Amino acid sequence: MNLKQSVLIGLLITVTALIAWEIYWRNQGFTATLDDNEALWAVQRAKVEKLSKEDVVLVGSSRIHFDIQLDQWEKKMGNKPIQLAAGGCSPLPVFHDIVNNSNFNGTILVGVTPGLFFSTTFPKAQPWAWPQARVDYFHNRTYAQQLNHLFSLPLQNSFAFISEVEGVDGINLKELLKKIHVNNRVIDPMPPFHTFEEIRLDRNVRMLKRMETDTAFANTVKKVWKFFMSGEGPPPDKVATMNFFLTDLEKFKARGGKVILLRCPSDGYLRDFENTVTPRATFWDELVQKANVPAYHFEDYSQLQNLTIPEWSHLTANDADIFTNEFLDILIKDQVLLTSNSN
Amino acid sequence: MLFNSLSFIVFLLIVLALYYAPILTWVSKKRMLLLSSYIFYGLWNPPLVILLWISTIVDWVAGKKLAIEENKQKRKLWLLLSMIVNLGFLGFFKYGNFLLENFTALLNTIGVEFQARPMDIILPMGISFYTFQTMSYTIDMYQKRTERARTFLDFALYVTFFPQLVAGPIVRAQDLISQFYEEKKATINQFLWGVFLLTIGLFQKVVLADTLLSNTADDVYGAGKVLHSLDAWTGTLAFSGQIFFDFAGYSTCAIGIALMLGIILPDNFRYPYASIGFSDLWRRWHISLSTWLRDYLYIPLGGNKHGIIRMYVALMVTMLLGGLWHGAAWTFVVWGALHGIYLVVERLLRSKIHIKINAFNGILLAFLTYTLVNFTWVFFRAREFSTAKNMIASMLFINDGGEKIVPSFDIIKVFVLITLLFICHWIMRNTSMKDVSLKPPAWILGVVWGIMLFLIAISQGSGEQFIYFQF
Repeated sequence: MNLKQSVLIGLLITVTALIAWEIYWRNQGFTATLDDNEALWAVQRAKVEKLSKEDVVLVGSSRIHFDIQLDQWEKKMGNKPIQLAAGGCSPLPVFHDIVNNSNFNGTILVGVTPGLFFSTTFPKAQPWAWPQARVDYFHNRTYAQQLNHLFSLPLQNSFAFISEVEGVDGINLKELLKKIHVNNRVIDPMPPFHTFEEIRLDRNVRMLKRMETDTAFANTVKKVWKFFMSGEGPPPDKVATMNFFLTDLEKFKARGGKVILLRCPSDGYLRDFENTVTPRATFWDELVQKANVPAYHFEDYSQLQNLTIPEWSHLTANDADIFTNEFLDILIKDQVLLTSNSN
Repeated sequence: MLFNSLSFIVFLLIVLALYYAPILTWVSKKRMLLLSSYIFYGLWNPPLVILLWISTIVDWVAGKKLAIEENKQKRKLWLLLSMIVNLGFLGFFKYGNFLLENFTALLNTIGVEFQARPMDIILPMGISFYTFQTMSYTIDMYQKRTERARTFLDFALYVTFFPQLVAGPIVRAQDLISQFYEEKKATINQFLWGVFLLTIGLFQKVVLADTLLSNTADDVYGAGKVLHSLDAWTGTLAFSGQIFFDFAGYSTCAIGIALMLGIILPDNFRYPYASIGFSDLWRRWHISLSTWLRDYLYIPLGGNKHGIIRMYVALMVTMLLGGLWHGAAWTFVVWGALHGIYLVVERLLRSKIHIKINAFNGILLAFLTYTLVNFTWVFFRAREFSTAKNMIASMLFINDGGEKIVPSFDIIKVFVLITLLFICHWIMRNTSMKDVSLKPPAWILGVVWGIMLFLIAISQGSGEQFIYFQF
């Protein structure tokens, strides 16, 4: 057996097949992007340990993740906040972790998406379990996992086929196999959910241009929101979520920390649904009154309205820039935050 | 550190570069391997390297004393010290919470109100493997079956050798330490064969276990519902494949990596799903553990030298403890008990019925064995007895109208893959991978190699941990 010959043939096949695979997926519109995974999140969470009183941390769900642009923030305020928000997540587990497991006493900007903030404190429910998994990963990550993440970054940035994306846009072998359906023995009622953002190393997220130009694409995401709203999910647990948050808030305030609440824009069917299930007066207003911290609802500021929300929930990249700037102007005017120049 | 991770690829390249660079003497190379092994382990949780050091020092000292001590009482005491330290670690770190839970449950059952605070103990990765390996040295020294390691470096490397540190094979002292005495260097063919084994191992783990089978097994066993019979069987078959590919994959990687360094490790699996009967199964599945249990537990308990009853008792005790070795839960004990019962029944039947095995009845008996093995996997995989009970009932077609949760394609995928696995094991049962791989022309092996590497690369995986690391 000539193993040298075998290994050469093997390597040749592997390299050729991988080049073809990469070209194929690039032709299908995929690009090399980072994965918004637990490892990327943990790198940002680790930075919280070293922050000063002047620094800001963002927690919440996808709206604050899309709508607050870190570059705009840095340009205006002189320093970049830490982005810890993540899609489909309640902000409470991450807020709880920072309050109880770090010495940070700067400012935490909490994004309040009513359907998620007031959803639950049940550990196994998705809005809680997802962010908690990130928190747990951060606390338990090994040095080996940190190295793996470090080594994977250049690969993620170079190859489109290296992707952890799940669902309809997933292109690793496991995800590709999941898309094969033989008959309807088991029906997944959820419409296909496309990825419509790209993320950077600092976890800044921007909406893809396609969402602005391709109405059919935007409609696929709207269908998913409608699906979630039509489901017979549990009602919001206002009392438990609010109490949980307020307990941590008092602890954070006591050590000199500052909290700002932000309700980002939503639109259309989704906003109507939110107004019905989590009416402002009995959810947001009550939270603001009990929390007694600076709070900003987009409905109260004309400059935060009339922005483009192609799928009812998140701002386009350009409008996220505008939103960030306008929101920061309001904070500066209210002297809730000071720019680094004024410090 | 996991074999299926980028950090390991970088680690291995550095180790190989240093190992084959003409700058180090053999002693320096061994020191480098030892240091690398501690880094390999410490990158998971550095403080737990201290446990390895304690085990190493205690067993080195015990071995040294056992080599010169003639007083029987003192010899026993040195052996006892080694056993207490190693089993003490195992007992505290692996069974501490389990013992506390059962103690609490017992008190509550007899009416004593008691609630213990959970101890929150970390399970050191691979503790069951390295404690068993190092204990085998002192037991062999006590029984004068092996020679004392020549140097502390050789012994420390034997305990810590990174390819097999966290999930075996559990290697005996005489098989590994002596390989460290003379300079080892793989020939080109050995090295490339080692790379091929590493590729096969990663293919088994990343593609077959994690990509093709794990989801189905996880969905079925995590459903929390009474399932349709087809779904229950699909989930169990998927798990039977997953655990084989996961564990055999690890062993194949370990053997391949060691071979790249010119070190030979023993086989740990010999196509177990084609076993004819359960004695045969335990000669083919996790061979290094089953021979360990045979030599250090079953035979000391009496083995087959003290009558039939004692033999059956020894067999059951060995399998019960073997079950408990896998995990601190009663479901693992039941798994071991089932295997014990299978072995006892098989021996009873063998004394009454004599069958001449041929190709036709052989494959039927292998299929029967594999089917019965699947019932044991239910207890191995299920976290609670209620899940196991529902699964067994569904698999025996007792549950009417259970829920369907597995898509048709997944059913086809699992049944095709498991059928191929079974046929492959049957064809290969009396041969070896090397023999089979050496027959076809080099280009065929190259094509297979390339396809495996390509599938590993496009599966990627997010560095799923090997199942046996938790044991």
